[in-house]
Amino acid sequence: MSKNKDPQAVMKQHMGLKASQRISNTIIYVVLVIISIVWLIPFVCIVLQSLRVEKLNGAMVTWRVGYIFPKKWGLDNYIALFKTDFPRWYLNTFIIAVFVCIIQTVIILCMSYTLSRFRFKMRTKLMRFMLILGLFPGMLAMLILYRVLADLGLTEEHAVPGLILVYVASSGMGYYVSKGFFDTIPKSLDEAARVDGATRAQVLFKIILPLAKPIVIYTVLTAFMAPWGDYVFASYIAHANSLGMNVAVGLNYWLSKDQIAAHYTMFCAGGVMVAIPVSILFMCLQKYYVEGVTGGAVKG
Amino acid sequence: MASVKLTKVKKIYDNKVEVVHGFDLDIKDKEFVVFVGPSGCGKSTTLRMIAGLEEISAGTVEIDGVVVNDMQPKDRNIAMVFQNYALYPHMTVYDNIAFSLRLQKMPEDQIYEKVTNAAEILGITEYLMRKPRALSGGQRQRVAIGRAMVRESKVFLMDEPLSNLDAKLRNQMRAEIILLRKKLDTTFIYVTHDQTEAMTLADRIVIMKDGYIMQVGTPAECFDMPANLFVAEFIGAPKMNIIKTKLVKENGKYYVTPFGAKIEVTGEKGAELAKRGVEPGEVLLGVRPEHITLAKPGEGIATRLEVNEMMGSELHLHVYTEDETRLIVRVPTISLTKEQREGMTYGAPLNITFEGKVMHFFDPETEKNLLCD
Repeated sequence: MSKNKDPQAVMKQHMGLKASQRISNTIIYVVLVIISIVWLIPFVCIVLQSLRVEKLNGAMVTWRVGYIFPKKWGLDNYIALFKTDFPRWYLNTFIIAVFVCIIQTVIILCMSYTLSRFRFKMRTKLMRFMLILGLFPGMLAMLILYRVLADLGLTEEHAVPGLILVYVASSGMGYYVSKGFFDTIPKSLDEAARVDGATRAQVLFKIILPLAKPIVIYTVLTAFMAPWGDYVFASYIAHANSLGMNVAVGLNYWLSKDQIAAHYTMFCAGGVMVAIPVSILFMCLQKYYVEGVTGGAVKG
Repeated sequence: MASVKLTKVKKIYDNKVEVVHGFDLDIKDKEFVVFVGPSGCGKSTTLRMIAGLEEISAGTVEIDGVVVNDMQPKDRNIAMVFQNYALYPHMTVYDNIAFSLRLQKMPEDQIYEKVTNAAEILGITEYLMRKPRALSGGQRQRVAIGRAMVRESKVFLMDEPLSNLDAKLRNQMRAEIILLRKKLDTTFIYVTHDQTEAMTLADRIVIMKDGYIMQVGTPAECFDMPANLFVAEFIGAPKMNIIKTKLVKENGKYYVTPFGAKIEVTGEKGAELAKRGVEPGEVLLGVRPEHITLAKPGEGIATRLEVNEMMGSELHLHVYTEDETRLIVRVPTISLTKEQREGMTYGAPLNITFEGKVMHFFDPETEKNLLCD
């Protein structure tokens, strides 16, 4: 026979557990809030600086003012942006990102569907080869890519189509995540649809893609983000020609030694402008994005 | 409605493994044929070759006289129900059933009529606007059947459609499939590993093992005259008892001598042995558990009880003989007194016997039924 425990002792123990859980939760939240503040500081500073209208000692110098909160607020920096090459850079970036996003998404999804659903000779060898190839840094190909694009006349002011080509070229190798997700969709669904009268393409568009919505959104977002924020390739291929620059390269140009004093607050305004569309995209699609990132691993 | 003919159909995978070895079968129009066999016997592969979901390595498959080897599944005019239902999770029940009709570009009003008709027959009308995840296993299976029904195909293929259901629901759905078959009046090819399903549903059973057909016949034929040892053990539950013994012939009569007893082979079996002039010698004697009866103490074959399974209306008694041969005896509960039932505990002595007319004889080497062609 087990001894009956004293109810008061049980209650005390229960209360003790509750209290310790509350304390540990409080500690966790305090730490998380501190980390969030630290993480947000640079963003807040950039937004504040972009809204600062006054200049140092009334001169043209816009940086190293020694304080964070503007003394005079306004949208002058944003307005001034549009009197520079910024709209061109923005448009370049937008065109590149949209084209890359569409082409890369189509290639990745087709590639993933093929590798997930079809069995053909050399399939596993091809996957292994792409995996190994993907381990090499893309930068290694930079020189030769520049040479090829220069010969094709796709550099400097014609850098936009050149950059689209560069970003799209190795799209097929980004199949891992979506193939993993497609693998979790039972093959009997494809088979049922094929018996029901669907072609392979109809199976992909009517069955697989609607079921793989999170991974499609993940693919679209990553395909859009990569060229949107790229600096290295873009700077190489635009080669200091303002007409061929994207926002990252253009804004970075304002950070050069002779430009920063006059353009620092405009640089901040540009940074905010760059972040806006991506932030909106992420806010709208974050639910799917998280599902997409984790989906392939855990979806049963 | 259509006939299906398989001629020397083979399936050889890329790694050269042959899983179906020259399958020959003629399925008549409106016939209900069940492929049955243990896991890995090639029954599902054969069905999938008929459906067009597996490439046919050799031989031909004809549906309604047309060779369909190189046709896509959609062009074969078949409908299929899958083991795991394969419902489209992002579509409602209505859209699932309507999917194939929409692909045919059928007008929406006709689709509506067909879908609601099918739903009414299957009793799923109230679930039409639900997604599959909000349905129970039985309801999902009905939707899968409904999806196949509306196609009005020539051949209805079913790949272990009941194996994901619990025992009670399986029995219920089995009865519903029999009714559905009457309503649809089309050719059915059904795959299962459950011999009860095969026996209850089929016009003809195709029993398979390791990619070979072991026997094709009506359920009664397969049960009463199993072509070989495998079929004998596979069909019937609990499985047939197999006893290694001798067949002897005295004064024109045949006897078997299991465990020291001497039992005359009587009835049709005895006559058939004589007609065929079967030579006496070693045989594998098959006796179904339900054909063994309990004998009085001192009579028949002496055994001891090892396990007593109470099945409700009957007892399954696992007994062992003096030479440690295990046998199963099926006894109706009603035939025993309360004292007899209570006395059936581990080690209890039990005498058993069986009649000569219920025996099956198999060649110990070829394992073929000695009375089968």
